Amino acid sequence: MKGCIFNIDAGYLEGLCRGFKCGILKQSDYLNLVQCETLEDLKLHLQGTDYGTFLANEPSPLSVSTIDDKLREKLVIEFQHLRNHSVEPMSTFLDFITYSYMIDNIILLITGTLHQRPISELIPKCHPLGSFEQMEAIHVAATPAELYNAVLVDTPLAPFFVDCISEQDLDEMNIEIIRNTLYKAYLEAFYEFCKQIGGTTADVMCEILAFEADRRAIIITINSFGTELSKDDRAKLYPRCGKLNPDGLAALARADDYEQVKAVAEYYAEYSALFEGAGNNVGDKTLEDKFFEHEVTLNVMAFLQQFHFGVFYSYLKLKEQECRNIVWISECVAQKHRAKIDNYIPIF
Amino acid sequence: MFRSEEMVLCQLFVQPEAAYVSMYELGEAGIAQFRDLNPHVNDFQRRYVTEVRRCNEMERKLRWVSGELPEPPPPPKPSPRVLTPREINILEERIDYIESEIQEITKNAQNLKTDYLALIELKLLIEKTQTFFQDHSAHRKISASVQIYNNDGALGHLGFIAGVVATARVPSFERMLWRISHGNIFFKQAQIDEPLKDPVTSHELQKTVFVVFFHGEQIKLRVKKVCNGFQATLYPCPATYKEQQDMLAGIESRIKDLEMVLEQTEQHRRLVLANIARDISTWMVVVRKEKAIYHTLNMFSMDIVKKCLIAECWVPRCDLHILQKALDNGVKASGSPIPSILHHVPTLEIPPTYNRTNKFTRGFQTLIDSYGIASYREVNPALYTIITFPFLFAVMFGDMGHGLIMTAFAAILVIFEKKFAKNKTDNEIWNIFFGGRYIILLMGIFSVYTGLIYNDIFSKSLNIFGSSWQNVYDEGTLRNYSTFELDPKDAYTKTPYPLGIDPAWQFAANNIIFLNSFKMKLSIIFGVLHMAFGVTLSVVNFNFFKKAELIFLQYIPQILFLLLLFWYLCILMFMKWIMYSADATDNALGTSCAPSVLIIFINMMLLKESTAKGSCKPFMYDGQEIIQNIFLAIAFLCIPIMLFGKPVYQIMAAKKQKRGGVEGGAGGAGAGGAGGAAGEALGEALITQAIHTIEYVLGAVSHTASYLRLWALSLAHAQLSAVLWQRLLKIGLGGGSPVNAILLYILFAAWAFFTLAILVLMEGLSAFLHTLRLHWVEFMSKFYEGQGYAFLPFSFSVILEADEVDIKEKPNGGPPE
Repeated sequence: MKGCIFNIDAGYLEGLCRGFKCGILKQSDYLNLVQCETLEDLKLHLQGTDYGTFLANEPSPLSVSTIDDKLREKLVIEFQHLRNHSVEPMSTFLDFITYSYMIDNIILLITGTLHQRPISELIPKCHPLGSFEQMEAIHVAATPAELYNAVLVDTPLAPFFVDCISEQDLDEMNIEIIRNTLYKAYLEAFYEFCKQIGGTTADVMCEILAFEADRRAIIITINSFGTELSKDDRAKLYPRCGKLNPDGLAALARADDYEQVKAVAEYYAEYSALFEGAGNNVGDKTLEDKFFEHEVTLNVMAFLQQFHFGVFYSYLKLKEQECRNIVWISECVAQKHRAKIDNYIPIF
Repeated sequence: MFRSEEMVLCQLFVQPEAAYVSMYELGEAGIAQFRDLNPHVNDFQRRYVTEVRRCNEMERKLRWVSGELPEPPPPPKPSPRVLTPREINILEERIDYIESEIQEITKNAQNLKTDYLALIELKLLIEKTQTFFQDHSAHRKISASVQIYNNDGALGHLGFIAGVVATARVPSFERMLWRISHGNIFFKQAQIDEPLKDPVTSHELQKTVFVVFFHGEQIKLRVKKVCNGFQATLYPCPATYKEQQDMLAGIESRIKDLEMVLEQTEQHRRLVLANIARDISTWMVVVRKEKAIYHTLNMFSMDIVKKCLIAECWVPRCDLHILQKALDNGVKASGSPIPSILHHVPTLEIPPTYNRTNKFTRGFQTLIDSYGIASYREVNPALYTIITFPFLFAVMFGDMGHGLIMTAFAAILVIFEKKFAKNKTDNEIWNIFFGGRYIILLMGIFSVYTGLIYNDIFSKSLNIFGSSWQNVYDEGTLRNYSTFELDPKDAYTKTPYPLGIDPAWQFAANNIIFLNSFKMKLSIIFGVLHMAFGVTLSVVNFNFFKKAELIFLQYIPQILFLLLLFWYLCILMFMKWIMYSADATDNALGTSCAPSVLIIFINMMLLKESTAKGSCKPFMYDGQEIIQNIFLAIAFLCIPIMLFGKPVYQIMAAKKQKRGGVEGGAGGAGAGGAGGAAGEALGEALITQAIHTIEYVLGAVSHTASYLRLWALSLAHAQLSAVLWQRLLKIGLGGGSPVNAILLYILFAAWAFFTLAILVLMEGLSAFLHTLRLHWVEFMSKFYEGQGYAFLPFSFSVILEADEVDIKEKPNGGPPE
């Protein structure tokens, strides 16, 4: 039934999004890109793709950061267009997507101010999708409680922040914990929201978000080895909407080294495959890359179904991956470091 | 125009030095379509990629500079000759210099403007804050305590910060201030009435002046941080009235100085820009041409010994001398001793289709091309379309009044075409009308003509020559009856109305029945003629492509089928018109015996007996039944010929060839394999031919019926315009009171509007589309293949035009960093 009336509100946008998706670079494009000798070549080749003349007005010599900015700008314009034309519940869905960028921005700004960087230098580094009005005044806050009371209380992130309020001073460790708690709350809320929408959206999005949650849990565990984070605290940071919940998370909470984490993942078919393929030797893909690859597969699969919001999320994520790929290739080209140029993650 | 031009594939061997000038001349002439000889090479691995990049860079700079110009630059001067590489280098340096100069000036101006903005803001701030301090007693207290604080830091505790912030951010700014101070501040704001200008983007900025009063050093720091975060600009503001006045005076004088400097900078900038504006378009054209040349050169392949470039291009045979001349000029200009070599390549590839058009024929050619580009050298229907298209349109649109409106509109477009062509617009609808101005003109003229034949002008008839019908009744009868019958025996004067339909039919109650019968027959006659002409055109193709056998195997059965069945129907119509009349002496030829042509035709097809009532004859002439049966038999005999003729002929031809092959000792095994392949090909040929035949036979019926749309649309058009007349204008014209004059005024406007919008525009569009369909489907299906591809010569004018459109679509990029 949902499918019948889906097109009334979101049909146009879904069509638009699928159209955008066709502009994602193909394997053949990547093969051409990695042959480039200079960034100018790269620009010339990108002109032949959907990116068109997005670099035409940039003066030579190009820098990787300009390319990065322009790529991001294009993506943001597309996303904003979708957001501006959406109605409930899709607009909330799209807003939810932006919250993760907000979290990243807040963390970036706080870390920056901790390191005595002027705020004007940090602002351009923030992701434009996650910008909000009070963002620039964030350095007023010295403790999480202040941060909440002065800055975040007016933003949509306020409900996620409730768990982090404390009177401790902000420091490196604290920020990491805040970031992960925020993310946990955010992922769980997003998961709930998608479930509440129901239908195909729930099917598709819950799958993706569950993976995202599990990935975070695993990464948090691996990164916590050798730090002062206690096991109890660590367990509090796990998002509880993934497939690892509850047994897997409990096992993860007890893990002491990489091998134990791997042993936990053994119980889950898709994750054990990821651990199998990963290695730290030269030429092997890292675990992180493996996760990215799996994410791309999930997102590509989202396009196989119709009448759901997952395509918007997936499009954004795929496009982001594409930006990372292009930037990676550009870096390799710019630094004449071609050995690792093939380490991008192909999408189609 | 009759067929597309004969094309030649040429191979050119050009010295790299001479290539540039030669390409320039070819680009101006626009006669050669170059083929990409290195399709597998990436864009950025080609030979002239650095030159292309250099041009891109120059183009970007020029685009930026022209974005800085206050008004659009004048159109480019025609550049008479090709620039040498040295001149291009000079141009490049010049552009570089200009860009950096303008950047410098712009930057200076921006700095000055930023200062100016700050001063203006400060001035407004002081003016506004004065009222804060003065107009309220509470404020006075505050200002008093501020004074205390200022005079003697130890005593007071109240500090304040004043500044300017964007109006849109004020609410959240205020909330944030309140939050961080736990409510311990006093916030006062006043909006600046007239918007300020942003120094960089020169957008308008809405700003608000604010003053924050607070207590204590700690809060001051945090307030400052918040101000910083909200991009508020803070200004030192003196607290006492006298200090404020002093400061204000100082600012005033500084603003005046700055204004003067600003004006001078602006003037200097304008001067510099004005100097450039004259040439910038010309440079742009030069750069774009240069880029296009290098793009083309990139398609050439290099000789192995790297001595010369090899190019391949399609050229119309009659333009070969231009190509040769361009090559010679190139060699001359480069001064190299080795001449460029032009050399024809015999090829089996199908050449592109190139129909030379002028401004008149272009529109018609476009109509045909949008169906499908003609196969190389096949008959081009566009030539005939020039007349048949407007004619068939006019049959549907026939009305003198509407035709005149259309003619007048098109005539204006045609007469002032140079003016219109000069100021190009993006308006798609306008461009369509303008592109088809000659089609519209002819459609209009033909509509006037058919309107004259139908005797329709805004649904009324003109009695120019005097009706051929006369009144046969006396006063009394006329008074007593509202309708009465006119018997053609007495009322008709025996001399027909000289042109078109007699105006007397305008009042007739059976007007529509009469017109229907007339227009229906007319459309069938036109349709059959049109189709027969289309079928006959295929002979021209067969003849040209040396397929004489198809004339007998395809054309003759087809045309026989069409003529014997459908043209016979038309002949019956003519016979009916001529033979039967009201004053015939023979009763069998009288009005009551006039047969229905349609029934006769249906009986003929179904082989049914015709029956006659009373004294009428069952047939129109003696021996009709036998003749009809013979026609029918021949027509149906044509079908197997159409079906099997071509494939059988192909088998025979193949066999003959094979026999020749065996006799020549080609060997048995190979021939056997070839035989199997031939069998498959035969099956395929049979199926294709069967499809074609069925399509033609069924098409003959359905296409003939399809031409009835001529009648249907014409009827609809006439009826709609009659309704408009009767329901609108007639009401206004009736009655003699002055009220009617006002009514007429309003009704005429409505009538004129609907006439234009519905009758001329909408009906015109629908008639146009139906005509297009009649041509594409009914006419062109009889002979047109449309399997060719268009000739796209390397031409500067096309490239420049395409670039212009591109630029318009793209917003100008920001200034380079």
